[in-house]
Amino acid sequence: MNMLSQRTTWLASAALIVLACAPVACGADDVGAEEEAAFKAAALSVAPSVVRIETVGGTEKVDDVLVGTGPTTGLIVDADGYILSSAFNFAQKPTSILVTLPSGQRTAAKIVARDDSRMMVLLKIESEEKLPVPTFGSRDEMAVGQWTIAVGRTFDQALPNLSVGVLSAKSRVWGKAIQCDAKISPANYGGPLVDIRGRVLGILVPLSPQGQGEVAGAEWYDSGIGFAIPLAEWLPRLETLKQGGDLQPGLMGVSLKKGDMNADPAVLVACAANGPAAKAGLKPQDKIIEVDGTQITRQVEFRHALGPKYAGDVVRVVALRGEERIEAELELAAELAPYAHPFIGILPRRDIGDQPGVVVRYIFAASPAAEAGLQAGDRITKLVDLEVADAAALAEALAAHAPGAKVSLTYTRGEETRSAELTLAKLSAAMVPELPPAHGELPPPEAQANVGVLDIKIPEEQNECAALVPENYHPGAPHALLVVLATPGNYDRDQLVERYRKLCHEHETIVLLPRPADAKRWDVADAAFIRKAIEDVAAHYNIDRGRILTSGYQVGGAMAFVTAFAEPELIRGVVAIEAAPPARAPLPESDPARRWWFYLGAAQKSKTLGAIRKVAERLEELEHPVVYPELGESSRDLNADELDGLGRWLDSLDRL
Amino acid sequence: MSMRTLYACVLVTACGLGANISQAASYADTIATVQPKLVKIYGAGGIRGLEAYQSGLLISADGYVLTVWSYVLDSDVITVTLDDGRKLSAELVGADPRLEIAVLKLKATELPFFNLDAAIGVDVGARVLAFSNMFGVATGNEPSSVLHGVVSAKTELTARRGVFRTTYRGPVYVLDAMTNNPGAAGGALTDRQGRLTGLLGKELRNAQSNVWLNYALPIEELVAAVEDIKAGKTRPRSAADDVKRPVDAHSLAELGLALVPDVLPKTPPFIDRVVRDSPAGKAGLRPDDLVLFVNGRIVNSCRMLADELATLDRLEEVRLIVQRENDLVEVVLGGP
Repeated sequence: MNMLSQRTTWLASAALIVLACAPVACGADDVGAEEEAAFKAAALSVAPSVVRIETVGGTEKVDDVLVGTGPTTGLIVDADGYILSSAFNFAQKPTSILVTLPSGQRTAAKIVARDDSRMMVLLKIESEEKLPVPTFGSRDEMAVGQWTIAVGRTFDQALPNLSVGVLSAKSRVWGKAIQCDAKISPANYGGPLVDIRGRVLGILVPLSPQGQGEVAGAEWYDSGIGFAIPLAEWLPRLETLKQGGDLQPGLMGVSLKKGDMNADPAVLVACAANGPAAKAGLKPQDKIIEVDGTQITRQVEFRHALGPKYAGDVVRVVALRGEERIEAELELAAELAPYAHPFIGILPRRDIGDQPGVVVRYIFAASPAAEAGLQAGDRITKLVDLEVADAAALAEALAAHAPGAKVSLTYTRGEETRSAELTLAKLSAAMVPELPPAHGELPPPEAQANVGVLDIKIPEEQNECAALVPENYHPGAPHALLVVLATPGNYDRDQLVERYRKLCHEHETIVLLPRPADAKRWDVADAAFIRKAIEDVAAHYNIDRGRILTSGYQVGGAMAFVTAFAEPELIRGVVAIEAAPPARAPLPESDPARRWWFYLGAAQKSKTLGAIRKVAERLEELEHPVVYPELGESSRDLNADELDGLGRWLDSLDRL
Repeated sequence: MSMRTLYACVLVTACGLGANISQAASYADTIATVQPKLVKIYGAGGIRGLEAYQSGLLISADGYVLTVWSYVLDSDVITVTLDDGRKLSAELVGADPRLEIAVLKLKATELPFFNLDAAIGVDVGARVLAFSNMFGVATGNEPSSVLHGVVSAKTELTARRGVFRTTYRGPVYVLDAMTNNPGAAGGALTDRQGRLTGLLGKELRNAQSNVWLNYALPIEELVAAVEDIKAGKTRPRSAADDVKRPVDAHSLAELGLALVPDVLPKTPPFIDRVVRDSPAGKAGLRPDDLVLFVNGRIVNSCRMLADELATLDRLEEVRLIVQRENDLVEVVLGGP
């Protein structure tokens, strides 16, 4: 019987029951019984393809989530012994994988390849048995509200376990998944989601629109939000995995202009050098209006269009460059070369002047600006052919050019308009000498802010925290924010305030002094409190969002790394003295939209010198600006002179 | 609210509007006949986050109540609120600590009740209704809360030792509705037509997959114990059904096996050395074999392998499945 006629028959029989019995109460019961029978039949019809997976060995915790070692589920997708499952089931990196076929036969399995975009894993077994491949239903035929049955084989080897719900959405997590309200958990991750006739709609996996990794999204188990990867449309990819090739999310190598993802158009602000977009001729300021025939009006639609794509996919993009229509075909990449921020070598003044342009406060020695003869007091008005009204506009215009590029700069000196040609350098984190003031005399503020040592209290949080606001604080001047993570058990508030008072006062900096929830040690969980404390200070004081850094000595320094990496949207750098991040912590990637700063201090005889050097090397490979202050022979925290230098450095991080 | 709307949509989509209305009507009738048989039980608790309430079901016209055995009943005063709002004090008749059930007695007559002998079994995939006073939200004469779901699986809690920290060892219905919440234990599981099939269990976390389990104990497993309790034959805690540790058990040393050093929480049980002429040596085990199963039970760490052997009497044979490269090899050690 073909699919169409099967469906017609089923609908007809359902309609008959409704028509025949609708007025009678017992008739409804028949529909209930019919449906119940259909649930069971659907699970049974796919059952011969649903296998049980057991693993031996591996780690207990992955990303702080306790991962189970109980049986999990997989789906036969190819008669030659290929089984598809959820990456969650192998997050603990097991030593051995065993598959039990529905017949009870046990065989060893090997991971052939992974799909890192949809978090699936392909296994291979050797078996003499005939392995039945289920039938698949396509996304086009699905309807929100239709019955879905989630099938696993974790409780009972003989009979699969099932959970019933409806289809909640046909496109979720950037188009990669369908959503249902059946109960999805480790009891059925890796198993199929089938329709009422037992056709496979997808593979059940935990997914998170934000998080990455095998266990992301697992906290939503049994919540009424369950995801499945629709398979009918995905099956052409199976061949790649069978050949042992991993599938990775496809990258275009562009950064969008900062703004509201749900409102603003997809305007490019940078194209990664040698990235697919740059190679295809796309340029900063181009507005993407079409991807593979789909109209794009907002940034979020651009993400939806690219989300399901894999590296190697060819995408057709239409962009507007002014009035001109640009069509480009590009092949998405799996990896991009790290982005290196360009550097002119100037520090802008922070006055909000009455004329457009960027007034130079300071010229960095041996920088492109110094070589081109720029001077403090010059007003930059144009980069290449873009007018720059202020420092933010100059930063955005600059992001479009890579280090090594030749650019022209238009500036005025006195009444005279000049231009200079310069070759951009890589952003440097170099220390600076005494700097000229960032702004002129400011008018007296309308209201006087609280200054001195303030208590920061965050509702629902146990941590104590003090903020040190300099007596000369002025709401018209953007301040740096330095979060000092003191050594636990050694927190002397008065002493800390004394230590940082001068830095605050002389370098327009606010210092935050949080304590861990457990007075004896810092914990990853404290990062959330630190974020809230920073947001609280930023809500009441004029804080430069580009100059919020965490700092610490030894364990405090390690926590400074952990906090910064946990809050990459907020924290822009780390001042670590005698400290390295935890060995397995992934380092942030360089990104045109935000810059990272690293100040890594270590003594020549430091025990952690090896680890610090290794981290510094990796950070530089990732094109982050790093500076290594000399701290002498034996380990110690910064002295008064060095704190003063740190203050100057913080004051200079809005360099361009 | 949105869930309700969604559910309504489902029924409309699946069966057409007419069926939806009459189906709801049919469920409404069923639920109306079941709810009066449920009671709310109040006792000890109320400190350190422990709830002082649970659910129960009437099993005779003269006031016998079946519920789960818990700290709530460990109180001088147990009160029971009937579906019609009457508040009665209850006497603890007895309990079966192994099944974790208890029977209470109320002084009342002509109560609606479930006949335990008429309880039925249900299949995997069957639609079921769960009735309980979860979270204690129903007070006074408010009827108990109703959840709808299907039976996900029928499985043994004994299937793997240590997975579920409960003394109950036997089959359970695993449910796909969020039935096992605080206060729900002692509630009723019925089929679509309101026929009793299970008693909702206590909250339970699966120590293997680390997720909470929603389940009910099949009534057929409890009937005999309820009769015993009513007859005054409270069954003592019996070790018979728990794991027996033989006096003279198997051990790695006696089998002639040495494993790789156990350095991780889950060190895989690879064989390091095999003593010649030992049971292991005679059976042909080799260094680098990975032990996967002991008498059909999977062992995923060195520690589990040692634990598993400690439960086997030395007179019993030990059937091991090991992985050697890519093959699974079965060997039998010891025995007569």
